[in-house]
Amino acid sequence: MHEMSLALEVCDIAQRHVSPDQVASIVEIVIEVGDDAGVVADSLEFWLESMLSSPPFKAAKPVIRRVSGDVLRVSYLEVDDGRPDD
Amino acid sequence: MAVRTIEVRERVMAKNDELAAAVRRALAEHHVPALNLVSGPGSGKTTLLERTLERLGPEMRIAVVTGDVQTQNDADRLARHTDRLVQAVVTGGACHLDARQVGSALEAIDLSDTDLLFIENVGNLVCPASWDLGEAAKVVLFSVTEGEDKPAKYPKMFRESRYCVLTKVDLLPYVPFDLALAEETAREVNPGLTFFRTSSRSGEGLEEWFDFLRAQVKASRPA
Repeated sequence: MHEMSLALEVCDIAQRHVSPDQVASIVEIVIEVGDDAGVVADSLEFWLESMLSSPPFKAAKPVIRRVSGDVLRVSYLEVDDGRPDD
Repeated sequence: MAVRTIEVRERVMAKNDELAAAVRRALAEHHVPALNLVSGPGSGKTTLLERTLERLGPEMRIAVVTGDVQTQNDADRLARHTDRLVQAVVTGGACHLDARQVGSALEAIDLSDTDLLFIENVGNLVCPASWDLGEAAKVVLFSVTEGEDKPAKYPKMFRESRYCVLTKVDLLPYVPFDLALAEETAREVNPGLTFFRTSSRSGEGLEEWFDFLRAQVKASRPA
């Protein structure tokens, strides 16, 4: 039930790691969720999908990785840097 | 599209934990032990606090912060048993208190004029387990009407708690509840739990609870 507030915190963390004009360019947010973290991963993913499809985000996708322990952290972001593929 | 990876490695609870640390520092500075009462709805948190305020109110300065999704009914009930401020936090839908809310509530409480702080969390056996509020310990309440397997069903709450208050033991003759089995189930989750067997209605076990609280206050006072 507290996954909505966790999703808000994930969004806040993501925004703090890029400049304001890069927020819409985030394409993936990778989150590690421990088996003992007390978090329902499906519910967290649901809330993140909802939040990340709305401004200031554009089309970022949450990627949840299940790990052991009580870890709950944002691991890394993937950002479209606007350049064409190499 | 060229994609760049930005390493983050930041705990989702980091901000809450920072605020909880600030609450803990403020409480330590004023030598105030804080107990975070957690349980499912209806386990008897408010009634236990009513009995506690009635009995210990005359001998120590007790502050209370209550959390509810809606209404401040619990705070109103408790206010009838103390002339001190009972701070109500209405979460407006959130299923738990967080450290920011507790920090804000403490701004209205004079910690230099407080011996003991209770935080009565939102009735919920899942979400409050994940949030550090700056308390000295979580106290999980577990009523005999709930079934002995609650600790197995909600292990994180029992794992995060240091004390377990079994409540409503006056109802034992009328409900199929095995106290020893309940404690054994809880110890399988958390071997370090300390138990209290209480009834706020009959008074059974409350003296042990009051003595425990007196000891907490005494231990927190500077030598």
